[in-house]
Amino acid sequence: MSSARLSQQTIVFGIFIVLFLVFSLLLPGFFSASNIVALLQNVAILGILGLGMAIVVIGRGIDISMIAALAVPPGLVLQMVNDGYPVSVSVAAALALVIVFGLVNGWLIAYAEVPSLFTTLASGLFLAGLGQVAFFKLDLVPWPPQLDAIAGFGRGSIVGIPMPVVMFGLTILVCAFLLRYTRFGTYLYATGDNPLGARTIGIPTRPLILRQYVFAALIAAFAGMVMAASIGTMQTRIYNSTMIYDVILVVVLGGIGLSGGRGGVLNAVTGTLLIGTLLNGMTILDMSYSAQNLIKGVILLIAILIDSVLNPRNEETAQQGDI
Amino acid sequence: MSTPILELRKATKKYAGVPAIEDVDFTLMKGEVHALVGENGAGKSTLTKVMAGVVNLTSGQMLVDGREAMPRTPNEARDLGVAMVFQENSLVPTMTVAQNLFLGQEKFFNRLRGIYIAAQQFLQSLNFDVAPTATVSLLGAAKKQMVEIARAVLHNAKVIIFDEPTASLTPEEKKYFFDLVRDLKKRGVSVIFISHALEEALLIADRITVLRDGKHVVTDDASKFDRARIVQAMVGRDLSQTLYGQRKTTIRPAGKRVLSVQNLRMASMVKNNSLSVFAGQITGVFGLVGAGRTETFKVVSGVIKRDFFHGGEVLLHDKPVRYRVPAPAVRDGIAYITEDRKVEGFFETMSIARNIYIGQLAKLRRKRGLISGKAASAVGALWTKALNIRAISPDVKAVELSGGNQQKMVIAKSLVQEPELLIFDEPTRGVDVGAIAEIHRLINDLADQGKAVVVISSYLPEIMSLSDRILVSRQGKVVEEYSALEATEEKIMYAAIH
Repeated sequence: MSSARLSQQTIVFGIFIVLFLVFSLLLPGFFSASNIVALLQNVAILGILGLGMAIVVIGRGIDISMIAALAVPPGLVLQMVNDGYPVSVSVAAALALVIVFGLVNGWLIAYAEVPSLFTTLASGLFLAGLGQVAFFKLDLVPWPPQLDAIAGFGRGSIVGIPMPVVMFGLTILVCAFLLRYTRFGTYLYATGDNPLGARTIGIPTRPLILRQYVFAALIAAFAGMVMAASIGTMQTRIYNSTMIYDVILVVVLGGIGLSGGRGGVLNAVTGTLLIGTLLNGMTILDMSYSAQNLIKGVILLIAILIDSVLNPRNEETAQQGDI
Repeated sequence: MSTPILELRKATKKYAGVPAIEDVDFTLMKGEVHALVGENGAGKSTLTKVMAGVVNLTSGQMLVDGREAMPRTPNEARDLGVAMVFQENSLVPTMTVAQNLFLGQEKFFNRLRGIYIAAQQFLQSLNFDVAPTATVSLLGAAKKQMVEIARAVLHNAKVIIFDEPTASLTPEEKKYFFDLVRDLKKRGVSVIFISHALEEALLIADRITVLRDGKHVVTDDASKFDRARIVQAMVGRDLSQTLYGQRKTTIRPAGKRVLSVQNLRMASMVKNNSLSVFAGQITGVFGLVGAGRTETFKVVSGVIKRDFFHGGEVLLHDKPVRYRVPAPAVRDGIAYITEDRKVEGFFETMSIARNIYIGQLAKLRRKRGLISGKAASAVGALWTKALNIRAISPDVKAVELSGGNQQKMVIAKSLVQEPELLIFDEPTRGVDVGAIAEIHRLINDLADQGKAVVVISSYLPEIMSLSDRILVSRQGKVVEEYSALEATEEKIMYAAIH
């Protein structure tokens, strides 16, 4: 089993290298410093989201509402500051919104036992709708100059590395630490591997699930702030885009089994790099948005197929003990 | 000698290079009842799954009626006349009996009335007392099995394979099942059945084949076997005497009362159940499937979902407790060691050490936020040695261990929590004979150390050899209590049935 998973990650990394080399040789302008930086910058937000999704998926869940959590709370900060509220009040309001949102998701999934897919599908729709109806006056909320003091984590660069990429790196470190060295991480793997087993041995699984959705919402909102700072606006209709598919693609392609308990930060990073290269290459090739979606759809289907072959969670695994 | 209806020659099936069965020769005659016995992991299931087309051979030959035929799917096997009745039901629970019978054979226009009439006639011809319009999920285990058998006969099966057919049946149902098998035999149908109940094999089979470690050991007429000879062939050594043969001559006295359950009620499974458990002795809880034993102790340990609890009182050290989730029960020193380790026992992707370490983390009073790899390996090494858990390497994943070693790991995961009350639910289910002896010794040691130990088992010899005190459960409550000195198998069985 372990060798199979290792090889999936290695394969994906290999594909990334090959794709990168092919694009470098064949696509004019791909292998230039500015394009590589742009590639990383484009992929950074996706990578941060992918890490949040990875945590949820390892705990045997899924969070479709991440894009809503990315758009609405940061949009709220921008809108409130634009409307003349103090920065502190705006940030506090958005933070409260994110946490309440994560808690509601988590409560529905952990305590009311609604499947995570349906819960987050509905809650994401709700949050996006709430933003459109109650918060935003326009689809594009501009970054107000009053917020420039905190624009540093999305704008500019450190030793030539754009800040979004630095933030991606920071998130990698935080998530890796959380998964590898904390009790939360160990419990998360245990719960994803065998929820009933984790419960029986005395792990408080429901609070754990609750926390993982709060964490995912926080990460999504963080990604949203980085995005808004770097672009200078918040496109609140991003919820209607296909971005959530890219996030799932990152996780599954990287080799984090949708059946839970498997994979880690490295898998998410590998998946991010591959998707980033692919998207960038397709953009340089000037492929239409529809054609790109088609290709991404095919890759996602293949990735899910490989995932269910490599990480079967069914009678086959269950019966390995009694041959 | 006539041609066998089914024959396997040099059948070998390897999983990732490890043979589950190796060079097995097997013949089945027409109208024969053939019992397949062996320890867990001996290859019985694999062998029958090969015949039923569920599993494909790595090498070897299969002949049906003397002609080479190798079914690659259950459908192909069915066309060859081989049908398998699985341990787990393969019926569609929300459909009616008739719909299940004709499943997969429906005509384009599937007229319900038509299939009800056909099913009615067919069931009557078999003399089966099942209503074709009944929904399968509402039937008892025996009736479900009848439907499965009827379906096999309907598909003109020449060979019907049963995997542990009597495990979930009551004694009356078992008797009925045996009559059915005899009836099938009269119709010229050959029957293969896998069984752990050796008495059944001796009683009903014409021939018995014993497998061990994936290899064929012996095939002979049932009349030439007795229990001791089968067990010896199964384990390759004479273990039957040391394992279950001895009766207790002394019993441990009851210590302080640790647990008291009063008038517990839960859904339809537990009805006004009352019992006590004492420190320093083993309380055996015997009952047939459906007696509410597991459910009672799952309520005690908080494992069961809260919604099913209807009333009654649980006292731990004379203080009333009501656990809604297992975590606080674990903190208060209760360990429930599950009967179904695959579903709620262990973490399959993790190493032995990590599994045990998680047990420790879950119990730690001063919660630590950070984990320690060093502590994990240390606690893993300690318990691997203490319980003699055998694995190729310490890093091996839990899913790759044998049943016995998995069970020991699951027990270690709870022992590391230093519980005062240990509830073992079917502690040796799916465990090889060697490990059974070790687990029994461990359970005895725990009682000697003064722990309160509960052993729930459906296997009478296990209850008799372990318990100091025996509670007999029937239809949701404890109906009888014996000291191990006064208990006999007859008394216990009588209380459990009537």
